[in-house]
Formats: sequence, structure tokens, C-alpha cells
Amino acid sequence: MTVMKSILTAMICLLVTLTGMTQEIVLTVDAPEAAATGERFRIIYTVNSTDGQFTPPKFDQSFSVQGPQQSTSRNVQWINGDIQTVSSTTLIYYVVASVQGTYTIPPAQFTTKKITVSSPERQIVITDGPQSQVPAARQPQSQGQAAGTGDTPSSGSEVSMRLLLTDREVYAGEPITVTLKLYTRINLSGIQELKYPDFKGFLREDIETPPLRSLESEVIDGVQYGTGIVQRFVLYPQIPGEIRIDPVEMTVLVQERSRVHDPFFDDPFFDNFFSSVSTVPRKITTRPVTIRVKPLPEPRPTDFHGAVGSFTLESDLSSSEAQLNDAITLKVTLRGSGNLNLAGEPVINFPQGIEKYDPKVTMRSSGTSSGSKVFEYLLIPRNNGTFEIPPVSYTVFDPDQGKYVTLRTEGFTVNVTGAGSSEEGIAPVYIPGEEVKYLGQDIRYIRNGSGRLALTAAPLIAKLQYWLWFVLALFVTAVVILLRREQMKRNADIAGLRNRKAAKNARRRLAKANALLKSGRNELVNAEIARSLWGYLGDKLRLPPSEITREKCYTALREKKTDEELIAELDRILTATEYSQYAPVSEGESPAALCKRSTALISRLDNVLN
Amino acid sequence: MQRIIAVYILLLAGMLSMTGQTPEERYTRAGELYGSGDYSGAAAIYRQLYDEGYRSEDILFNAGNAFFKSGDNASAIVFYERAKLLAPADEDIDYNLQIARSRITDRFETVPQLFFVKWFDFLSLLASTNVWAVAALAMFVAALILVLIFLTKSRARGRLLSFWLFLAALVLSVFMILLAIRNNSLVNNSNRAVITCSIVTGRSAPGETGNELFVLHSGTTVTIEQELGSFLEVRLPDGNKGWIRSDCMEKI
Repeated sequence: MTVMKSILTAMICLLVTLTGMTQEIVLTVDAPEAAATGERFRIIYTVNSTDGQFTPPKFDQSFSVQGPQQSTSRNVQWINGDIQTVSSTTLIYYVVASVQGTYTIPPAQFTTKKITVSSPERQIVITDGPQSQVPAARQPQSQGQAAGTGDTPSSGSEVSMRLLLTDREVYAGEPITVTLKLYTRINLSGIQELKYPDFKGFLREDIETPPLRSLESEVIDGVQYGTGIVQRFVLYPQIPGEIRIDPVEMTVLVQERSRVHDPFFDDPFFDNFFSSVSTVPRKITTRPVTIRVKPLPEPRPTDFHGAVGSFTLESDLSSSEAQLNDAITLKVTLRGSGNLNLAGEPVINFPQGIEKYDPKVTMRSSGTSSGSKVFEYLLIPRNNGTFEIPPVSYTVFDPDQGKYVTLRTEGFTVNVTGAGSSEEGIAPVYIPGEEVKYLGQDIRYIRNGSGRLALTAAPLIAKLQYWLWFVLALFVTAVVILLRREQMKRNADIAGLRNRKAAKNARRRLAKANALLKSGRNELVNAEIARSLWGYLGDKLRLPPSEITREKCYTALREKKTDEELIAELDRILTATEYSQYAPVSEGESPAALCKRSTALISRLDNVLN
Repeated sequence: MQRIIAVYILLLAGMLSMTGQTPEERYTRAGELYGSGDYSGAAAIYRQLYDEGYRSEDILFNAGNAFFKSGDNASAIVFYERAKLLAPADEDIDYNLQIARSRITDRFETVPQLFFVKWFDFLSLLASTNVWAVAALAMFVAALILVLIFLTKSRARGRLLSFWLFLAALVLSVFMILLAIRNNSLVNNSNRAVITCSIVTGRSAPGETGNELFVLHSGTTVTIEQELGSFLEVRLPDGNKGWIRSDCMEKI
């Protein structure tokens, strides 16, 4: 293998030497005529040969020189059987001048085996440049500059990566667009691995980024870089405070020239030929970034649903005339830039009688964090009538103004018409009964009307008079009872006396009748006998004189179990006395006999009645 | 001198305007004030009518409402409680009293009354003291008349009936007297009072020297146990006792 390589090299060498002979070697220099202090400028030497020794010029002491970056090109052409080789070597020096003035760059020399050529002399005017260029912290090659002083030229100076942020001081929820950009000065063959940190405290959303195929050329401070956007994404800070974003790690494949040290061809001349290009993975990282996240001001409005950014709100109703049970849609569109995906749905108090479904949410994002979010409410009117859909009020936080902004839309009026669904054959919709909503609590209203005013009367029970009425009532009753009892007693006494003295009275009358008989006044005897008998009967039978008749007396006597014989005798005597009163004397019995019989009858009746 | 007369005339006119109206007119005026939102003005008129001795559940209920609306919750409770004594079965009064009580600071575990005491009190409040008293007297007279009937009846059945009727009338009469006494003690000699000071300390002895036992806030109803000078011994709804300044409460 080594032998083959050697033979090949020798053949090419021979060929080049043959053709090179025919060509004149020219060394040119390309340098700016003027530059500012601190500005990095390039001095480029080009020679139309590849095999030779380049001797750099002696730069001024105040110049800081970096380089050279060497590149060679070889072009072999066959024209009409004639082989023509065009080769060139380019050497680039990066120079920063620190002191102003006019400087002369001496000639550089290129020495081949046969000839030595010199470049022309150049003059450079260094002027006082802007200071802003000097601090190299923002510059991507500052890393490379520090590393570039090392022995190995491929120690990471040429490849770097940066996180470019739109803002480093944001409100919570305010989106930050982050661009991960790659800078390189060397050839890369690809990206092997990209590792993101966990972005603690942020919500990350990738923006669609075309895959990195080719690098764009970009000159930063006079240095040409190949740059490319690896990935773009949006970060939404979730918690307030100083939040550090850890480095992003990426492994790139670097095309590196590796030298093969050959003891036989250890010659600078062969370097160009015996080096080969290999792909080496190299890890690069970004520097950590700290972001200050400001909290949203308190108190938050009640209709704030997390949207931070600058937005506009629109609403649109599909139709203001609706059929009963026919769906209409209310579209609420939130448009603008901000954390659209974190913006919650607006709260709309739809009128009773309109059935509301959860909104359908669609988001259209135009690349970055700007776009629109549509909340689509499906509404089904369940009652006839005119309904007011209230205006939508939606509060967002505007980080530019640093305050809450309330967005409003207009309200709508929906006129619902149409008959019940039964005619159209639609299944009846079950509308559950609703409980009465109690809004608040208050005392009941005062009583109107006359008020039924009345002065308070003193309580009767506290007065003596009241209780005296009880005593009076008792007293009256007692008196009534006593009087009644007295009366009864008296009545009872009179009757008893008459009863007891009945026989005695009767005998007295009979004695009087006897006396009348003796004095010869016979016409009066019978009347006296009748009176004595009637009086006796009235007293004994307790009958008042007005009620005495023969029948009553007989009945009373029969009740007292008197003999019928006695009653008959009584009847005879009474009849006799009555008869004698109307008839002349000496008819029937003599008055004396009647008197005797009456006396005997009273004695016998007395025995029975007592 | 003229100024003095002018002031006097003004004062007189003011008094006339206040007292010249009939109670009914003032009552109606208070209702209008309440309707127009002048609650404290309405409350003042209602209270004046009450102080003059006018009583009706309507006046007391409206006075309670006016005090409640004007922010004097304690007075509102006093008047609702008074209205409740005149109309124990009125649902509006109960409702408003419950709302007024819900704004009281103090909360107590109340000892529930025995059911028959509650019933007896409720029954006694269904009529006024004097109605019960007159009814009791009428029932007593009826009992006496039944005694007389009993005495005149000679047959056994009539005597038995009149005897039982007499007994029933007598028992009823006694029961009505008891109701009248209970009604009087509830309505006219109430020993309950409502705290009107926004905050008052209950002490273990009358005076400012006793140990502090508890703190009451306005609107709490207490029972007065005894009186000594300007201090009253009160019993709290949970049974505890303490002495409180008498100017910090209003009797129901």
C-alpha cells in the first residue's frame, strides 16, 4: 500500500514538475488600503503554484496576526491532448491593528526549487476605529480566538453555537423566540446529535425549521463564517424569577486533515499530498443564558384566562335568525402574538333557553408565536323568543404596556322562531327541569295597610277588680243556693205541719158540727162535715185546695193502699153531705149520724195514712 | 326677643308637625319613608309610635324591618321578638328574625325548651292576656251556673251530665287563667333582653371590678335574672350567668 502510494506520488510529482516548468509563477497580495483600529481585516496571498515554500512577510509589531489559513486548488485540463495544470495556493492572514498610522507590509516570498518570487509591497492606513468592535463577548469567534492560540489548529475554535433570544426580560407567559444558530469556519459534514436541556420553568414549542442543508456565508468582523439555523423554538416562561437556561449540546462532524507521518517523506513539500481528510465528531455547547421572568401584576382580573401578548378579539354569529332546535355557531377569534396556546376559553353567559356545548378550539399559528385561536361555540336554541347573547369580555396581559387590557366584542340578538320539533319528526329533546335560582337573601317587605293601631290595654289579671268578679260570681251563686235551700226547707215544714195536724183540724170541725147540731142549726152541719173532710184530705194528701176533686183524692188514696171499703164510705159521706145541701131536711140520714160516721172514718183513714 | 319668639314658634311648629298627625297618618308616612329608602326615618316614627303605647304586630314587624335596613340589627331583633309575641304563628316574622339573627356575632349551643313548655307558651300567645282573662271569667261563671243546674236536677242522668260539664268548665277556667298569666309574663313583663352595645363584657359581680367572664356582641338575646343598681345579672342561651350594664340592652 505504502509502495503504491509512493509510486503514485512520484508519478504526479514528475508530471507537475514537467508542466510547472512551462508556467511563470506569480505571487499576488490582496489587502485593504485602509482599516480601523480593532477591526479585523484580511491579507490574502495567492500564488499560482502549489509546490514551494511561502515565506510570510514581517508584519509590524503592533499587528496581531492570526493564520495563515491555507488552501490549495489544482485543476488539470486536457486540451487537444495537451495536459494543462492550473494550481493555486491561497494563504489568508487575519490581522488586527491596534495603533493608528500608515504601515507598509513588506513583500512576501515564494520559493520553488528553481525560482523565488516576491509579492508587491502594500501600504495600509490604520484609522481610529469604533470601540464597539473591540469587546468581543458577543462575537462568536471570541471562543475560537482564545482557543486558536493553542498548538492544535482544530481545537474547537472554528465551530461554535449560539442561542439567540428575542428578549431576556419578559413577563410570565410572554413568549420568547429562540434561535439556535451554528457558526463555523471549517467544513462540517453534518450534525450527529442535538441535546436540549430540560428548560425548567419554560414551556417549549418548536417552530418548524427547514433541515440544515447548506450554510450561508456571513461576515462577522471581517471574518467569514458559514452559518446556519439549527432549530427555532418558542419558550413560554411559566414561573417568575431568574431562570437559567442550561447549555445546548450538539455534536458536529468535523472534516479534519490528519497527518500521516512518514519517516521517508518527512518533508514539507509532501505534506499537502500525504494528508487525508477524516470526519471527527466534536462536541460544542452554547453558553448558559439567564432570563429574568417578571410575574404578572396582581390582582388578576376575573376574566383573565392566561393570555399574554398583544391580541385582538372578534366574534361572529352564524345567523341572527334561528330555527328552534337548529344549531347556530358563535365564533370568538383571538388574534395576535403571544402565548396563544395557553389562552383559555372565554366565559360567556349564554341566556337560559339556549343550550351550549363546549367550544371547539382551533389554533392557526403562522410560524412563530403569532397567529389566531378560534373558539367555536355550538348553540342550540330550545325555546322560542328573542335572546341576547352578551358581549364577550376577555382580558389579556399586554407585556409592552405592562398592564391588563380588556378586549370586548359586541353582543348579538338571536330571534328564534319555529314550531315544535314534533312536526318535523325530530325526536323530542329532553329538557331537564331547572331548579329555581336564588340570587340573594333579604328580609320580607313591611306590612302596608291600616296597621291596626291600638293602644295597649293594661292587663286585667294585674287588677284587683278582675279577681273581685270571680269572688262576686261565687258569692252570688252561694246566695242563690242558700236562698233556695231555705225556701225548700220552709215549704217542707208547712206541709208536714198540715199533715200532722190534719186529723186534729178535722175533729175540731166535727166538734163544731156537733155544736151546731145541738144548737139546732142543722142546715149548717152538713157543710161543716164536708169542709172537715175536704180539709183533712187536702192536708194529708198534700194537695192544694184548687186541685182537690173526688177522683184525684181517690187516686191518691189508692196509691197509698187504702181499702176500697174506706173509699166507698168516704164517697157515701161526701155524696150525702152534698145531697143534703140542696135537699130539704129530714131526707136521708140525720146530720148526727153523718157526724158520727165521719169521725169514725177520719180515725180509720188516719191509721192508714200515717 | 323676636328671635327667641321665632325660635319658639319654629319649635312649636316642629312639634305640631310631629304630633299633630294622627297615629294612622304617621304609620302611613313611615311606610312611605321605608319605601323611598329612608329607613332610619321610618324606624324613628315606628319607635315613637311604640313608645306612645301603640301595639300591633304590623307596627312591630315594620319597625324591625326599618331597623334592620338602617343597620341597627339589635333593635331589629328586639322588635321582631316583640312582634313574635303578638303573632307567634306569623311566618314572615319568623323568617325576618332568622335573617337578622344570622348576622349576630355570638353563636351559642342553645338548650332546647321542653316541648310542653313550648306548646304552652305558643298557646298562651295565641290570644292576648285580656282575652284569656275574660274567657277564664266567662268559663268560671258557666261553671257556677252548672252548679245551680246540678242542684235543681232531681234525676240521676241530668245530675251526672251537669256535674261533668261543671268540672270541665272549672278546669278550663283555671287553665285559661294560667294562660293569661303566662301571656302577661311573656308580653308585658318579659325578662328577656337583647344586647344593643356592639361589644360588652360580662363580669362575675355587679360593677366594673368583677372578673371578666365573657364578651357579648350586639343582637344576642339574654335572660334577665336579677337587677342590682345599674347592673343586671343575665343568663346566656347556653346557661352561663354574668353581670352586664343595664344600658347595654333593651328589654323585649
